[in-house]
Amino acid sequence: MTKRKNVTLIKALILAPYILLLYILQSTVFTHITLLGVKPLLLPLAAAGMALFLGSYGGGLFGLFAGILMDLACNQLTVEFTLLLTLTGLLIGLLSDTVLVQGFPSFLVCAAMQLLICSAFQVLAPVILRGAPVALTVGIAVDQCLYTLVFTLPIYYISRFLSRVI
Amino acid sequence: MKSLRSGKGIYIAGAALLVAIAAAISVALSGGHAGFAALLSEPFFKPIKSAMTSLVATLERTYNYIYRYDEAEAENARLRARIAELEQEYREYTEISDENERLRALLGFAERHEDLVMEPATVISWTASNFSSSFTISKGSSNGVELYDPVVNENGYLVGQVTEVTGTSSVVTTIADTTMSVGAVIYETDETGVASGDFELFRDRNLKLSYISGDSNVIIGNTVVTSGSGGVYPAGLVIGTISGIGVSSSGLDPYAVVEPSADLTGLAHAYVITDFAVSE
Repeated sequence: MTKRKNVTLIKALILAPYILLLYILQSTVFTHITLLGVKPLLLPLAAAGMALFLGSYGGGLFGLFAGILMDLACNQLTVEFTLLLTLTGLLIGLLSDTVLVQGFPSFLVCAAMQLLICSAFQVLAPVILRGAPVALTVGIAVDQCLYTLVFTLPIYYISRFLSRVI
Repeated sequence: MKSLRSGKGIYIAGAALLVAIAAAISVALSGGHAGFAALLSEPFFKPIKSAMTSLVATLERTYNYIYRYDEAEAENARLRARIAELEQEYREYTEISDENERLRALLGFAERHEDLVMEPATVISWTASNFSSSFTISKGSSNGVELYDPVVNENGYLVGQVTEVTGTSSVVTTIADTTMSVGAVIYETDETGVASGDFELFRDRNLKLSYISGDSNVIIGNTVVTSGSGGVYPAGLVIGTISGIGVSSSGLDPYAVVEPSADLTGLAHAYVITDFAVSE
């Protein structure tokens, strides 16, 4: 096994427990800890954090797995998060590679962007397919974004720490 | 940037697309009965989720024991008051044989539903989505669970319906989900309606009882049960109680708010009705 492959394997071994822990928290603990009736979106937030620190390749890859796990946690037939988090991971990583400074303000902007994109897609399905009232669904989306943003600081520091370790 | 130029980004996007295609194929192959997520989660994540659910339940119990003594005491007082109220009600019911007969039919769930074949199941996990209400249970097609089987709690209160089935697990969509609707009867007045999930009431996991008449005698506290029409649900399952009455934004259609009797946010055990006698 080459040195490069070893490094990739070590990165995967470090990130795998992190993403699994987030998945477990997302699908078990935080389905019970709600605020105003909504749950936070931890995996998309973490995907934004890792994309900021790992760049486009690492961000896209982390986004792909985070997306798959988020779709699993949501018990849904569609795989919207798999596609969304991969693409936003690539995009945030690209911005990080080119114009963004890897600091907390950048993370906050990326996290907000990530959550807005995810929430927009979540709102679209009920509004278009089931004629749900826009104001009510947007209200739920806004609340879930605000609740998720509570976790920006710990996720930021964990993402920064992990990116330095690997 | 470098990785995108080298084409790695395209590979990752391609991988995501492959996952999407695989999901579409798996959904199509299962006839829409089991999603990619459910099929994938079955072998890999079910044991982890089960273990975490047990751990969370234990931690919650410990937390409740230590910090919620006052709440428990208050709840105890409330329950005592409720018991006294029920005893009073029981005495009244015995005086009126007709009323007593009807209440026996409502409350004597097991007595009335001897035709029901039930499969007990443990709730593995609840959905992380804020736009739907569903959970995964530990029983699947190998246990006789089929698509659209009704699901109740230990008291026989309606919880929802099986909407995805795999070999050893199933997804149950609760009656509070906005895709769900149930033919309903107001027990006290015999008026019919349709109880369905509604975005306006979704945060509190309440249901909207529509298609009730303008001169309806519905009052807060009335019990709503399944009508059994359509043969999807057995008749007489308790859905909930009326907690509010309103009129639609057009001002023409009266509706009632139904508070489900079953806990639709933290249920730990569920019972799948795998067979019942259809009463049209």
